[in-house]
Amino acid sequence: MNATHPASLQVSGLGKCYGVYARPQQRLRRLLTGAAAPQQHWSLKDVSFILHKGQCLGVIGDNGAGKSTLLKLLAGSLQPSQGEVLRTGRLTAILELGAGFHPEFSGLDNLQFAGGFMGFSAADMQRLTPSILDFAELGQAIDRPIKTYSSGMVVRLAFALVTAEQPEVLIIDEALAVGDQHFQKKCVDRIESFRQNGCTILFCSHSLYHVRQLCDQVLWLDKGQVRGLGRTEEIITAYETHVRLQDASAQPEGAVTALSDKTNHPVVEGTAKEPAMAVAEGPHAVHAAIVQASMDGLALPTQGGRPTLQTPDVRLTLRVVTPDSQPPSLGFMLEQFKGVGIMSLATHAEGVAPTAVSHLPGRSEWVMHLRLPDLPLHSGTYAWSFYLFDAQGLVVCDEWKNHIVFDWISPSLTPGLVRLPHVWG
Amino acid sequence: MGAGSSASLLRSLVKREMQSRYAGSALGAFWAYVQPLLTVAVYFLVFDVVFAMRMGEHAPTERVGTYLVVGALPWLAFADGVSRGASSLVDSAGILQKNALPPMLFVWRSVLASWLAFMPIMVLLAVLYGFITGHWRAIAAMPLLLLLQLVLTTLCGHVLAILTAATRDTTQVLGFALGVGIFLSPVLFPLSLFPADWQWALYLNPMSAWVLAYQSVMLSGLWPGLQLWGIMGLWLALLAGVLVWLDHNSREELVDWL
Repeated sequence: MNATHPASLQVSGLGKCYGVYARPQQRLRRLLTGAAAPQQHWSLKDVSFILHKGQCLGVIGDNGAGKSTLLKLLAGSLQPSQGEVLRTGRLTAILELGAGFHPEFSGLDNLQFAGGFMGFSAADMQRLTPSILDFAELGQAIDRPIKTYSSGMVVRLAFALVTAEQPEVLIIDEALAVGDQHFQKKCVDRIESFRQNGCTILFCSHSLYHVRQLCDQVLWLDKGQVRGLGRTEEIITAYETHVRLQDASAQPEGAVTALSDKTNHPVVEGTAKEPAMAVAEGPHAVHAAIVQASMDGLALPTQGGRPTLQTPDVRLTLRVVTPDSQPPSLGFMLEQFKGVGIMSLATHAEGVAPTAVSHLPGRSEWVMHLRLPDLPLHSGTYAWSFYLFDAQGLVVCDEWKNHIVFDWISPSLTPGLVRLPHVWG
Repeated sequence: MGAGSSASLLRSLVKREMQSRYAGSALGAFWAYVQPLLTVAVYFLVFDVVFAMRMGEHAPTERVGTYLVVGALPWLAFADGVSRGASSLVDSAGILQKNALPPMLFVWRSVLASWLAFMPIMVLLAVLYGFITGHWRAIAAMPLLLLLQLVLTTLCGHVLAILTAATRDTTQVLGFALGVGIFLSPVLFPLSLFPADWQWALYLNPMSAWVLAYQSVMLSGLWPGLQLWGIMGLWLALLAGVLVWLDHNSREELVDWL
């Protein structure tokens, strides 16, 4: 993972400018005379970086920052307006899975055909097809026309094809969220094994959690230009500050009021959602999901509004179900409401695991208690979010964001956010 | 992408195009051959049998049907190839925007798929006329003429595909031009029927030179004259020049326009 490895991807001064044409006549004029477009829009400008073998670069940025343009330029499906991309070996892009499939033809036919787009010869495809079919788990459906497939099935086939052979450079665009939970896990495992084998990866995602887990370098794009490039934690922290400042200037405070549910645990904003990936297919009927998240010691005000925490001894309980008997990882995150993150904990990172409540075939229930014996926060409004991951903490199976929002009146009257452990001298 | 893998990709693209054009129909790719045969048969039936029209003195043959078929079939092949070529890039927008592939492959795919449907019929026609007329020495020019017509169709298709990408009006203009083009060619009427002062206008249709050459070979039993080869060469050079210019101006943005 360092510069002593040979460069597998070298990008210098890369830029993409789109001509903006108000009318088709202007395009015709450009075509016939070679005149420049009447207006130009640079969606990416002056991007340079070198990726060495085995490195994993995360690409982050707001919508419209130029991430997709960069990925398409690297994949070669867009022509750059300036700069160049040098790479060694095969490059595979998981960009738009299933593009190029023909609905009238069978899965198997499409596989042979789309393999040609990727540069696989007929002999290659003959060798790779069994493992692709095995991975895609389509069974008899492989002989049916693609138009009879669900969108999840198409994506499974496409993912199995593009990752059939380990490339030198792999480009991934938000593709970790593919198909149902079971398949999502397989995808992540495959990408992870590529990474272990020294594949160079470029990963573009809005999920900063995943970028943190996977990438050793991060490129932050802002309005088509490089805003930051460097070590993951450093760049992500800067990006998070940027996002927070943006949110603060965009949203007025106080848009939320409390609700209460029957269990007397208030559920405020961002209530229990469907599991993140709810495409039910095949035999994997039970989805990993959070079933209950609660906090003791909350008192609801008589006239509605947010509950107030009555004790500094915080006790949380999180219950989840999973389809298998492998203990999942559970995440707890405490944030200042509409403000900064204060702490996040994940069981896999702390070396603990939830307790099994029950094991049934295809359904296990788990519980985890978390206690903060002396809440070191100053007065304010805070929010708990809860996460359910797979055992390695890579796949986010379910998330309840801002599930519990509460007020806390601290005995301390001095200003600040948190009372850190301290020693007077 | 190397030349070898491009060729093998083109092969599979053409095969796929021929299959997908008739996917879901009971007769499948058979239609590709039936359509032009039926069209030519109708020409023959209407002009030669029903109206029993006969050619004038200076015509290369007496029977109208025999005359029509020789020009109409290559014209149909040209019109089909050019219009499919013209829409090829716009039709493949989804694939081109998502895969790193050279756009020209898709023009070639459409033109070749069309050509493969007409080619066997044209060869059959040449052999048939060979047996009827015995003009085998002249008919030996057919492979070269057919090859040059393929080049002409590809060049026209490619130029029009780029123009269609820039402005979709091209499709409308092309539809009109192909409808009128058959009258601005010696397909339906022999050259001698056109006023001498206006005969030059026929050569505004690139296919006129080819149609005259086919008629010369199959009906008169003569190798096409130097003048015809010259006009064919001029058209090919002109179109190649235009294509290079348009490609140069559009290369960077072409896929964005689709």
